[in-house]
Amino acid sequence: MMSQRLTRAQIPLEELTITPGSACQGCGAALAARLAFKALGPNVIRHGIPCCPDSTTRHPRAGGVFEGGGAMLTGTSRALKALGREDVQAVGFFGDGGTYDIGFQGLSAAAERNENIWVITKDNEAYMNTGNQRSSSTPLYARTSTTPVGKLTQGKQMGKKNIPFIFAAHRVPFVATASVGFPEDLIAKINYGKTVKGFKMLIIQSPCPVGWRFDPSKTIEIARLSVQSGVWPLYEIIDGEKLRLTYKPRELKPVAEYMKPQARFRHVTDEQIAGIQEDVTRHWEKLLKSDELGQLFL
Amino acid sequence: MSFEVMVGNKATATAVKLARVKVASAFPVTPQTTITEYLSEMVANGELDAEFVNAEGELSTQVIVQAASRVGARTFVCTSGPGQLYMHHPMHQTSSGRLPVVMATVHRGNKGMQPDHTDLMSQTWTGWIQWYVENNQEALDTVLMAYKVAEDKRVRIPIAVGYDGYVLSYTAEPVEIPAQEDVDAWLPPYKPMPSILPDEVDWDRMASGFGRGGDPQMRWKSHHDAIVGAKEVTKEVNESYGKTFGRKYGDGLLEEYRCEDAEAIMVAMGSIAGTARAAVDRLQEDGKKVGLVKLKCYIPFPNEDFQELAKKYSVIGMMDRNICLGLGGAAYGLIRNSLYDLEDRPSVLQFHAGLGGKEVRVGDVYNVGEKILEVAKGGKVTSFVHWV
Repeated sequence: MMSQRLTRAQIPLEELTITPGSACQGCGAALAARLAFKALGPNVIRHGIPCCPDSTTRHPRAGGVFEGGGAMLTGTSRALKALGREDVQAVGFFGDGGTYDIGFQGLSAAAERNENIWVITKDNEAYMNTGNQRSSSTPLYARTSTTPVGKLTQGKQMGKKNIPFIFAAHRVPFVATASVGFPEDLIAKINYGKTVKGFKMLIIQSPCPVGWRFDPSKTIEIARLSVQSGVWPLYEIIDGEKLRLTYKPRELKPVAEYMKPQARFRHVTDEQIAGIQEDVTRHWEKLLKSDELGQLFL
Repeated sequence: MSFEVMVGNKATATAVKLARVKVASAFPVTPQTTITEYLSEMVANGELDAEFVNAEGELSTQVIVQAASRVGARTFVCTSGPGQLYMHHPMHQTSSGRLPVVMATVHRGNKGMQPDHTDLMSQTWTGWIQWYVENNQEALDTVLMAYKVAEDKRVRIPIAVGYDGYVLSYTAEPVEIPAQEDVDAWLPPYKPMPSILPDEVDWDRMASGFGRGGDPQMRWKSHHDAIVGAKEVTKEVNESYGKTFGRKYGDGLLEEYRCEDAEAIMVAMGSIAGTARAAVDRLQEDGKKVGLVKLKCYIPFPNEDFQELAKKYSVIGMMDRNICLGLGGAAYGLIRNSLYDLEDRPSVLQFHAGLGGKEVRVGDVYNVGEKILEVAKGGKVTSFVHWV
């Protein structure tokens, strides 16, 4: 079993987001929350940790310590089990800081224990809540307030951590990527995850106009370009081994088309872009091969 | 009811079983380790119907019980020394959320592996109630009482029950185990308030996150008031436990031993109180009238009890198994603080004993008693601070 194709008409109409939120104009993360919680429905205990105030949803909600995401969901899910209320879903809606960095240890442990939880990450590729400092999700060369463009170094000197693969290596039942530019795919993956008992992770790339520095009206375009260029491929990994690409363009768009409109990459040279292109193409070919074999191919 | 010779860690695990805890979590750390093993066994054998999460570190264990308590499970967590320090951050959230988590702290000091009270004392500012117990029987009884107090609607504050590592954790003593049906009748299942389940949640209270509005200082005040108010509830629960199970510990906050015709008193916490009982017996045998007060409830501090004691005794000697470096003994400072407004203030002497696990023998406490008595008889106070 894998996620089933969905049409736009099948996206639930009911809104669980309470508007207006306190998100910035063009916030990708707010859209990620809106779509994800639509699909999850009302029977949810939502946990948040320090991150951008993406949107409030009509769910009982509890916050906690930044580093405690995995443990918070574990405690919730175990108590629900102990009280015979496994119908309620324990859902974490975290930022990339909480998933990739400060909360990583606890999430890895929860994955290893295969806790019955949802870890949904709105990945905007930096600590946007505190004003755009680099995270281990920030891509190569991106300018942030802690990876500035200086005389000696320009932008981040390391690449983005491959968090979906790291969690897939825990052999959990479901790990998937998603994008706010592909809502049908995002919701299809949540619909599938709702049928799975165990650890479920969805990483949603959520463009941030403020941090990535593009016009707030272009969020969806940027999100789509990221997927279409292969920078953020959409796939799902079942049980840590079966990989399927859920969006497979015949040909990838050049990464330059994705990078150029974002001022966080303004300083990047054509040579550097060529290097990134090479990287993205190589990774994409591996994914294609994995997809063809139905097997994760590292 | 039954008897068993058991180590302190087993007495604690037995109390957890009797309390029918629903979610427990722990990470092994010496000298708490065997609690995690006892609980794992109880769950594996079906003796305890609970979710026991062997988490990857103490910080996570604290967060796990915090979340589980919020959902509505009775919870238990335990740790020692470095693990206690590691879980500092989420302890604030547990108490601020007014969640009745019960924790056993098997003391291991902050310098080295040996027991003193610096681990739990380091959590003084986290908004938890702190109790220190003397022996394995008291550990079992006190864990049960802790649930009753923590879950009381007037309190709703997490409670840490501390006992000395090795001295109690790994030392076997005879322990009377209450019958399960008696505990069930005395400690009914936990019902959370308010509930966080989607079909029960009170949306008016759910205005979560930032900008809750109101006076931000009031959250501190109500939290503080609840802890201070717990003194009366603790006394009630101690009485009711005594009526039901035949054992109580002083008034629940502190316990007097042979103070009736004493001229001066010494105060001890934890297992040193046991040693001090023997020392007081010898002192009184020798005609030296020193009594013992065991300080059990450190937070909230029993100011009123000490004010009462001050009416009767001219000298109080505090034996602190802790030191707040640069400030001094924690309980010593608080005793002096509680007496300052009195017109007739006794002298308060400071003794540091058992830090870093240094052995405290009956003879050591005997000497402490003699020093206290010397001052009571009008001897000159050369120094308020003595290292035993």
